Amino acid sequence: MEDRVQHNPDDPRSVLAGADQARQRLAAGLRLPTGLHPALAAAVAVQVGTAAYGIATQTAAGLAVALAGVAVSLGVAALTLYQFRRINGVRVYGLASQIVLGAGATSSLAYLGAFGAATWAAFESRWWLVAAAAVAGGVGYAFGALRWWHAYQHDPAAHAGGASPRVLAALAVLACLGLVALLVAS
Amino acid sequence: MAELDPLIHAPARLQVVTTLSAVSEAEFAALRAALEVSDSVLSKHVSALADAGYVRSRKGVRAGRRTTWISLTSAGREALREHVAALRRLIDVVD
Repeated sequence: MEDRVQHNPDDPRSVLAGADQARQRLAAGLRLPTGLHPALAAAVAVQVGTAAYGIATQTAAGLAVALAGVAVSLGVAALTLYQFRRINGVRVYGLASQIVLGAGATSSLAYLGAFGAATWAAFESRWWLVAAAAVAGGVGYAFGALRWWHAYQHDPAAHAGGASPRVLAALAVLACLGLVALLVAS
Repeated sequence: MAELDPLIHAPARLQVVTTLSAVSEAEFAALRAALEVSDSVLSKHVSALADAGYVRSRKGVRAGRRTTWISLTSAGREALREHVAALRRLIDVVD
């Protein structure tokens, strides 16, 4: 196994450096799909906006709009993760968690803040504010994913872990059922 | 106290498990490219690590062709952690 720098197999420091170098080589070579962040921002903005509209209107049409927003968001997430796997030949559950769940603090805060503001604005029929909150939430969510990506490239082993695709799929189903229950109850 | 693990003590094996720790699952070809080794060399290491339960491999399809996906198991992750800790202690002793 040849490295770009020769490592002495009898020197623990050199052995560790060689292993770290190989790991960094893999991580540094990974590429995100083109347009991931704008697509993620748009998908989350659509999801927040449609959910706020559905909750505020409390009608069957509103429910359909909200579920369509979830479908758009999940569709973009699934397509993005498929492209990442196809381009790089690897799966990183940490990335999947960031994209589907917004697992980082920045993404979570951006999403929750935007969702709360958009829902309040929708009840007040201030639709321009719904749109503004949704866009801000989408941008914040995508920024959180970008921050995570930089952290991952700096220390891949510490950030590679996350929810598996099966767990994410189960959570997506639960989210849809929860949204339906929320709208039916309200 | 963690000790050196003979199965991943060889630099090549250590590079395989360390590289796998950066991802959840890697295609055989992607791992081979990152490690800059031949198919046969990587196959040999992956087989030995799989026999020890340190890695898991499964068959899949990518772009219409059959491929092999390899991932580090929790036992492999723990073995790597302990082996690296043991190496760092050796470095500290030398220093």
